[in-house]
Amino acid sequence: MVSLLRNQKVRNTLLQVVYVGSLAALVLAGIIIARRNLAEQGITSGFDFLYKSTGWDVNFSLLPATANDPYWWFFLIGIINTLFLGCTGLILATLVGTIVGLARTSANELAQLLGRTYVDIFRNIPLILQVFFWYALITHLPTPRAAHEAWGLLLTSRGLYVPAPNVGGVAMALATSAVIAAIALPVWLGRTSRLSQPFGQRATIQLAGAAAALACAAIILVVGRLPDAPLLDFPALQGLNLRGGLRVPPEFSALAIAIAIYGGSYIAEIVRGGFKSVGKGQMEAARSLGLSPWRVFTLVRLPLALRAMLPILANQYVWLMKATTMGIAVGFTDFFMIVALTINHSGQTLEVIGILMGGFLAINLSLAAVFNRINKAIALKGNQLRG
Amino acid sequence: MISSNSTKAGGPAVRIENLDKYYGTFHALRKVNLSVERGERIVICGPSGSGKSTMIRCINRLEQHNGGRITVLGTELNDDIGNIDGIRREVGMVFQHFNLFPHMTVLENCMIAPTLVRNQPRAEAEATARRYLEKVRIPEQAMKFPGQLSGGQQQRVAIARALCMQPQIMLFDEPTSALDPEMISEVLDVMVTLASDGMTMICVTHEMGFARRVADRVIFMDGGEIVEQAPPEEFFTASQNERTRQFLSQVLGH
Repeated sequence: MVSLLRNQKVRNTLLQVVYVGSLAALVLAGIIIARRNLAEQGITSGFDFLYKSTGWDVNFSLLPATANDPYWWFFLIGIINTLFLGCTGLILATLVGTIVGLARTSANELAQLLGRTYVDIFRNIPLILQVFFWYALITHLPTPRAAHEAWGLLLTSRGLYVPAPNVGGVAMALATSAVIAAIALPVWLGRTSRLSQPFGQRATIQLAGAAAALACAAIILVVGRLPDAPLLDFPALQGLNLRGGLRVPPEFSALAIAIAIYGGSYIAEIVRGGFKSVGKGQMEAARSLGLSPWRVFTLVRLPLALRAMLPILANQYVWLMKATTMGIAVGFTDFFMIVALTINHSGQTLEVIGILMGGFLAINLSLAAVFNRINKAIALKGNQLRG
Repeated sequence: MISSNSTKAGGPAVRIENLDKYYGTFHALRKVNLSVERGERIVICGPSGSGKSTMIRCINRLEQHNGGRITVLGTELNDDIGNIDGIRREVGMVFQHFNLFPHMTVLENCMIAPTLVRNQPRAEAEATARRYLEKVRIPEQAMKFPGQLSGGQQQRVAIARALCMQPQIMLFDEPTSALDPEMISEVLDVMVTLASDGMTMICVTHEMGFARRVADRVIFMDGGEIVEQAPPEEFFTASQNERTRQFLSQVLGH
């Protein structure tokens, strides 16, 4: 017996069995207790409630929604709202972060100071405070009658009014996919022509691809416009309110701005780290070959910095995606707020929390999977020597 | 442009006059004077911190000098960007840590500068690149990435990359210091071939065997100054200077 316990393999297996066994027991106990408590309170568990109509409304939705729609439809709306807010926030945060990060790595001392101040301030104020700040600011903008106008945009306390295209739904979807293609095409062309085309021509091909896709989008928009209407519908004052155009509600703007500015301060540090990690040697070699500063940056420094940034950036994106749950603080109907409302109205707490966890897991695991693919695809081959 | 002017002008490949270089308050180069003729092979040695690397890095403006004049192939190296670019086109450099671009294939490493800086058509640039990869004896590695090669192979790619610009002068900054002993000879062999082709070479190295074989002149630097310069046989056997002899005994002593 003693000799068996001293056997490494036996001992490791035994530890595993004990560990998995107690975990299973714990989960089982949880389920039994939950079922007994639910039965005592007369709550029937299950997912039947998903098909009942909610009886309440959402204040922001990209899909048609009424109080008669079932819960599952509202969950879908919530997920799409979360994705929409998340993607907008991530794109803006990346823009802000890139600019601030570059400022911090620049040789200009004023730019460095501004960048550092920015990061110090916005990274150290809790996100929820920043959300409240922007929300208060936006809701204290002038009323629609006294709104500021610039380039057809109207800033009011009821939200930001932007001109909207008078275009049919199908054409809009097609044009959106064409714009996405305009971003994806250059990346794909760059990869496929990597070994067959020289650097200068490769950039031309990529630009041509992007331009063609954008032209397609423009043509689709013009062709698909609604009959007897101008291409763009400008918001205009009618009575006490604004008509026409598209209203971006203050809740959404406040969250998007807060995520952009807060997330931007973290991303700025990632960008700075990425550029710092590029060996001085590679840039010296590029300069000694006579390459111009711009080409040293775009062909050597940026591609190498991006490879260093991407894994940490993915982490940050997942984090910011979860930050959209701040929606509940200002009343934006994101996934989390819909879940909270559903718990109140239906009482199916455990099931709904399960759906919430499943939804965020799906979003963030997909995000991580995409980034892992990119990381793998552009990983440097072989062993790297730090110069 | 520079090449056509300077080949007519005929003067020395590199002329350094009263060169001063400071890092903050540290005086790295003290009024250095050096003239390198076309086709001449110079080996520079000296203890670390003596200013050898700084001096050759001034020749292609990786370091900016604080005083004196540097004239490369008849063009003075000053703040004129056109002059700097022109000189960099004609001066190739090989670094201690190879500094290849790890995200490009060996072939791309060799083609990037000729296609973008010299505007060579792709086919021509590729033919040149393959010819030089042949010359440094690794034609079969063209489609690999730098990280997949050994140190010696990487350094030979770095030499080929510099040669693809068809420079008139080659600078070597301790090209074998980061290599395992068995890889040093494969890099030195390539450098010897290059020397026998008549390339103007300025090499910072402690490979005294190489200096003896190919150098026209060996230069010893210490404390930011050129202490002694002489043809190799004289330098190694009949050095007049105490510091040189001490350095030599340390380098050759074992």
